[in-house]
Amino acid sequence: MANHNSTTANMQATTASATISTPVQLATAFLLGMVFLFGAGFVQTSAVHNAAHDVRHSLAFPCH
Amino acid sequence: MIFRRIVLYALLVGALSGILLTGVQLLQVIPIIQSAERFEGEPAAAPAAEKAGQAAQAHDHAAHDHGGHEHDADAWAPADGAERTGFTLLSNMLSATGLALLVLAAMVASLRLNAANKLDWRHGLLWGVAGYAAFFVAPALGLPPEIPGAAAAPLESRQAWWLFAVVCTAAGLAGAAFGKSPWRWAFLILLVLPHLVGAPHPHTEMFAGQPPAAAAELTELARQFIGATAIANGALWLTLGLISVWTIPRILTPSD
Repeated sequence: MANHNSTTANMQATTASATISTPVQLATAFLLGMVFLFGAGFVQTSAVHNAAHDVRHSLAFPCH
Repeated sequence: MIFRRIVLYALLVGALSGILLTGVQLLQVIPIIQSAERFEGEPAAAPAAEKAGQAAQAHDHAAHDHGGHEHDADAWAPADGAERTGFTLLSNMLSATGLALLVLAAMVASLRLNAANKLDWRHGLLWGVAGYAAFFVAPALGLPPEIPGAAAAPLESRQAWWLFAVVCTAAGLAGAAFGKSPWRWAFLILLVLPHLVGAPHPHTEMFAGQPPAAAAELTELARQFIGATAIANGALWLTLGLISVWTIPRILTPSD
């Protein structure tokens, strides 16, 4: 798999994690971001909703 | 491991832009929310008390349905003042970190796609504008940012449309910006799609439960709120884009 950005330095630094390809790592980071946003903006549990209430209104997330 | 560096720098970007966003919100967004809440029963009502007010309204307006979900008025809510502001700061940092994770992962992916490894501050501005368009402008065109107490279509359908608008806009912009085919501009059709489908809207007046004078005042607050959130989100995306671009060389060339 071609990694255009890989320098010798980061090839060495990532030897330990060479089993996980960069696209998979990027996709995982992306998914983690979606989990964060879901927690802050979409979860409807009352306590979570109340804690994030003003932020949801401010970021124009649909809120109650 | 690039995943770890993305997460660490996303936390940094999220913390910084979350702090800045909270500052901007405290100046103009939060005061409008608090003014609107004064119309919902008890003065200086916390979010939980607002739910109680809405539940009462729901009895008068059968159409005022929150998609079968109501919040428990007894549920925990942060106390007004420092506690509420603290949770707002925390939620802002959490949201901004989530956005930063998406942006950083997308930036690194775009660099791999274009076989490049440099982004300057102008790219940061462009990414910020694109994020603002996808996460604020597009959904807000269909579902304008609402002040508490405004009538709205069932929550689940609005959340679904919000997500649809964000995904379509982001995919459309990404396709047009990074596509290889001469037809890549056709991706911009995706920007229009959510608005052709149309956002869900309630069948009642926005402040049907209020006396006319209060409804007029709330309508004016709702108008101000759109401008206030437009500025706050603009500030968020500007800093998010610029700081993210600053972290990219650090993510690509590990020091550890």
